Amino acid sequence: MSYALNKMSGWIGWAFFLDLLDGLSLTLSYMFSRTVTMRYPDKEKWLPFPRHRGHHFLKTDEAGELNCVACELCAKICPCDCITVVPHEDEKGNRRPLVFDIDLARCLFCGLCEDACPADAIALGQHYEYSAYDTKALVVGRDTLMAMPGKAEGGGGVVNARLTTENGVRVVKTGVEDGSDWWRRIRRR
Amino acid sequence: MDDFLAVALIVGKMIVVIAILLALPIPLTWLERKIAGHIQQRLGPMRVGWHGLLQPVADGIKLLTKEDHIPAEADRFLFTLAPIIALVPPFAVFVAIPFGDRVSLFGAEITLYLSDMNVGLLYILAVLGIGTFGVILAGWGSNSKYAVLGSLRTCAQMISYEIPMGFSVIGVVMLAHSMNLLDIVEGQAGIWNVVYQPLGFFVFFVAGLAEAQRIPFDLPEAEGDLGAGYHTEYSGMRFSFFMISEYLIVVVLSALIVILFFGGWNGVLLPLPPTVWFLLKVGFFVWVFMWFRFTFPRYRYDQLMTIGWKVLLPLSLANILVSGVFLF
Repeated sequence: MSYALNKMSGWIGWAFFLDLLDGLSLTLSYMFSRTVTMRYPDKEKWLPFPRHRGHHFLKTDEAGELNCVACELCAKICPCDCITVVPHEDEKGNRRPLVFDIDLARCLFCGLCEDACPADAIALGQHYEYSAYDTKALVVGRDTLMAMPGKAEGGGGVVNARLTTENGVRVVKTGVEDGSDWWRRIRRR
Repeated sequence: MDDFLAVALIVGKMIVVIAILLALPIPLTWLERKIAGHIQQRLGPMRVGWHGLLQPVADGIKLLTKEDHIPAEADRFLFTLAPIIALVPPFAVFVAIPFGDRVSLFGAEITLYLSDMNVGLLYILAVLGIGTFGVILAGWGSNSKYAVLGSLRTCAQMISYEIPMGFSVIGVVMLAHSMNLLDIVEGQAGIWNVVYQPLGFFVFFVAGLAEAQRIPFDLPEAEGDLGAGYHTEYSGMRFSFFMISEYLIVVVLSALIVILFFGGWNGVLLPLPPTVWFLLKVGFFVWVFMWFRFTFPRYRYDQLMTIGWKVLLPLSLANILVSGVFLF
């Protein structure tokens, strides 16, 4: 008897599309919930984690002296041959790089140069917006690398930002660096 | 003089209706893309104008500037005729659809419908059936094998769902004792027909979805993913005729559902003008059509035909039988 009732309710469910109602309630709840779109570059910007491998930067000590001793280990381990190092003796008699070029067009941002460096001189940082119109502009020199921002501190979130055209086209932060909101917003059910 | 004024009034109403219907797909495409976005937890168009409001204008410009290509071996006359035949029935249907009873403007009484037909409902169902010809001619005139196959399937789908659609409104006609749409709406001043005819509403809604070729029954349209459909060889403005006719049929069906089952312009609780009530209800059903579109996958062709003949037709016949027994 209950087998017949089960079959009958199965047929009635099939005839009246009852399994479709579940899908409808799901999309209704999604329709009125917050969107997860990150409105880059007009309203928001992504802050990377400290582990993010972005644009390289050369580290200096407190006095402003480069850590790099131009040992060329990074150039030797680079799988893309994109680092060019030319050592020279500076005024104080120390070995320093005269030329330190990284070809960003060839670089694959693997971080091997950071792992190989014995002097803790080069690392991959948080900067990720370095597009250029010409591949020649993607070869960065020693002074540009020294000026690059370092690794991210907190991050892993979305922060308010806006597009600006002063000092070239950039996206500047306008809000507080608090990324926790974004994760709470996208984790539902 | 009186005759001249009457004719001028009808022509004026006709111009207003045609202008509104031609302009209607513009906000409807925007609404569809926004609803699609929010159901998928994203924003939809945001760049072209504030929150993407100018996106339909950009789409229109794109469609207008596309190359108007007619295949070399195609039947030119049928190829150009098909989009026109697809586009005219929704406009013709609006002759019989009332937006309200009557309203006083500039001291004179103006009726909010173009024609008060005694067989208004029959006229509407008959004219909607003409749209099938547009599909057939489009596929045949394209002289392309997959287009012909797609149009045959579409044609079979539309014909098989017209029958339950016609049968499901017989219950409403029995309740109102008339096919006149004004009588049907006036009969719902107390209780809406959906309370008395829930099965009729269900069958009419599903059959309407299939007639309009909306998901979950849009196999002919989506055959671009699977193979080809009847409008493969069409581009630019000719293609947009088919799209406009689809949106307009959605509006026509929403208006019919509201008039036949949901009380037309009779309101509940809030004392808004009747036309505003009507427009709100039609807008609600257009939203429901779009909600369905982004919720379901589409039915396979054999499942589609099964639903039309083995589910909807028996249900609509049972509805007639039961209504007849109750009304006896």
